[in-house]
Amino acid sequence: MPEARALEISGLTVRYGATVAVDDVGLRLPAGQTVALLGPNGAGKSTILNAALGLLRPAAGSVSLFGRSPQDAVRAGCVGAMLQHGGLASDARVGEVLRLVRRSYPDPWPLEDLVSTAGIDGLLDREVDALSGGQRQRVLLAVALAGQAPLLVLDEPTSAMDVEGRRAFWTTMRGLAGRGHTIVFATHHLEEADAVADRVVVVAGGRLVADGTAAQVKSGTTGRTITFTAGPERPVEGLPGVTSAARAGDRVSLTSIDVEATLGALLAGGGRLPDLEVRGASLEEAVLSLTAPVPSGGTR
Amino acid sequence: MTALLAFQLRRIGRNRQYLLFTVLLPALFTIFFTKIFGAQAGGAANYQDFAGYYMTSMMAYGALGAALGATIRLSFDRASGWLRQLRVTPIRPAQLLAADVVVGALLTLPSLLVVALVGRFVNHVQLPLSTWVGLVAVLWAGSVAFVALGLLVGLVLEERAAGAATGIIGVALAALGGLWVPVEAFPASMRTVAHAMPSYWYAQLGRDVAAGTGLPAVAVGVLAGFTAVFAAAAWAVSRWRPMYAVSG
Repeated sequence: MPEARALEISGLTVRYGATVAVDDVGLRLPAGQTVALLGPNGAGKSTILNAALGLLRPAAGSVSLFGRSPQDAVRAGCVGAMLQHGGLASDARVGEVLRLVRRSYPDPWPLEDLVSTAGIDGLLDREVDALSGGQRQRVLLAVALAGQAPLLVLDEPTSAMDVEGRRAFWTTMRGLAGRGHTIVFATHHLEEADAVADRVVVVAGGRLVADGTAAQVKSGTTGRTITFTAGPERPVEGLPGVTSAARAGDRVSLTSIDVEATLGALLAGGGRLPDLEVRGASLEEAVLSLTAPVPSGGTR
Repeated sequence: MTALLAFQLRRIGRNRQYLLFTVLLPALFTIFFTKIFGAQAGGAANYQDFAGYYMTSMMAYGALGAALGATIRLSFDRASGWLRQLRVTPIRPAQLLAADVVVGALLTLPSLLVVALVGRFVNHVQLPLSTWVGLVAVLWAGSVAFVALGLLVGLVLEERAAGAATGIIGVALAALGGLWVPVEAFPASMRTVAHAMPSYWYAQLGRDVAAGTGLPAVAVGVLAGFTAVFAAAAWAVSRWRPMYAVSG
């Protein structure tokens, strides 16, 4: 492989009719990185990945894979992908599908090893139409891995898997990263991003709203959550350190990047803070806080 | 390419319905109708004419059904997401289309051969060997029009609609083109309709060759024209809506 980045997206904008699905997104993946695209449904994760694969034509921006156009990179066998709307050939056996895909790549994954890595032992002679949802998903993973491509693009790879299947999948992903593959995967399972990715990119409303390690996304952007009970007469606006405030009935919850200053100000007037709780944010809350205040543009 | 071809052929080979409708059914029709109506023809010469005529019609019927049935499978592969999955492998969409064209063309052969064998050995149609070869060859070549039509239907319509449309188109081509009932038995207005059908000219191609009168220029021209129109339309549709687009 040339010394180019595995994936480089800049200024990517995708429109579906009047809807802006992806708005001026830039993303650079050095070779060897494992990146999770994290965000709620409709955030634009799939659209970004589909544009990266050349499956749709962006309104603006550019995409390059190892310094080539998506189409050239795909044809050269640099990419393996698992798509959300991907499928398998009917009237075919799993082994036939894998053989066909493997031989289209210059350096295919040895079949036996591929079978055990994707967890499809005993399925090679099975008719594609007779697979269960989870088996199907693993066969699609095997199809994505079949070419031993340097870049793997996986769109919600575990969506039809149970907890066990998901954990096995994470182990596979870590193994692949260890072999030097660049992996970018979309998910809305936060634990998955936390468990597998070196880097988490949070997408909301068609934009990138955070980018860093899971720990950075958790700590840097959200701080802590302070909740207490207070009537509407108690003002919670303009407190030091508070980045967002919400009220649900009598329950006030504040997100603060400086808990001490916030609490100091709240308690300064000698007021009480009944039912006070202070919690560190989970990745889930981090993502919620990142994705909630984004203005409406783009989400469906 | 050969791997893709083998893969596609194996898939269709597993589909028993396909084999039933494209090979067995025309063969049974050939026997059934020739035995019933041919027996009433009176006289050995008339029987020969009828048996030859009907065999050619059924060869055309089987072949066009096989060509349509093989190529509209494109719409099934789009609906299942298989085409989209292949789009992110090094296999090119053009290779895929080429494979489907070759598969469609190859699969008309069993229908043509089986019906011809039934005609020869069950219905005792007598033709010189060179005529037999010419008849199969010309009907095989002419089936390209229906391969193109099937691709067009497969590209335009969604899975279920394409399946239904192929059935209807197959019946319309056979009935209106005079493959089931000879055009000579049609009222004049229906005869005009028949002359607008590619299936009529396709069968005509075979009949003229079987009769030993050589290649009919008009039939060849009309079929070539239909093929060009279907292929151009299929090409235009594939530009407008890529094969890997999510269906629906």
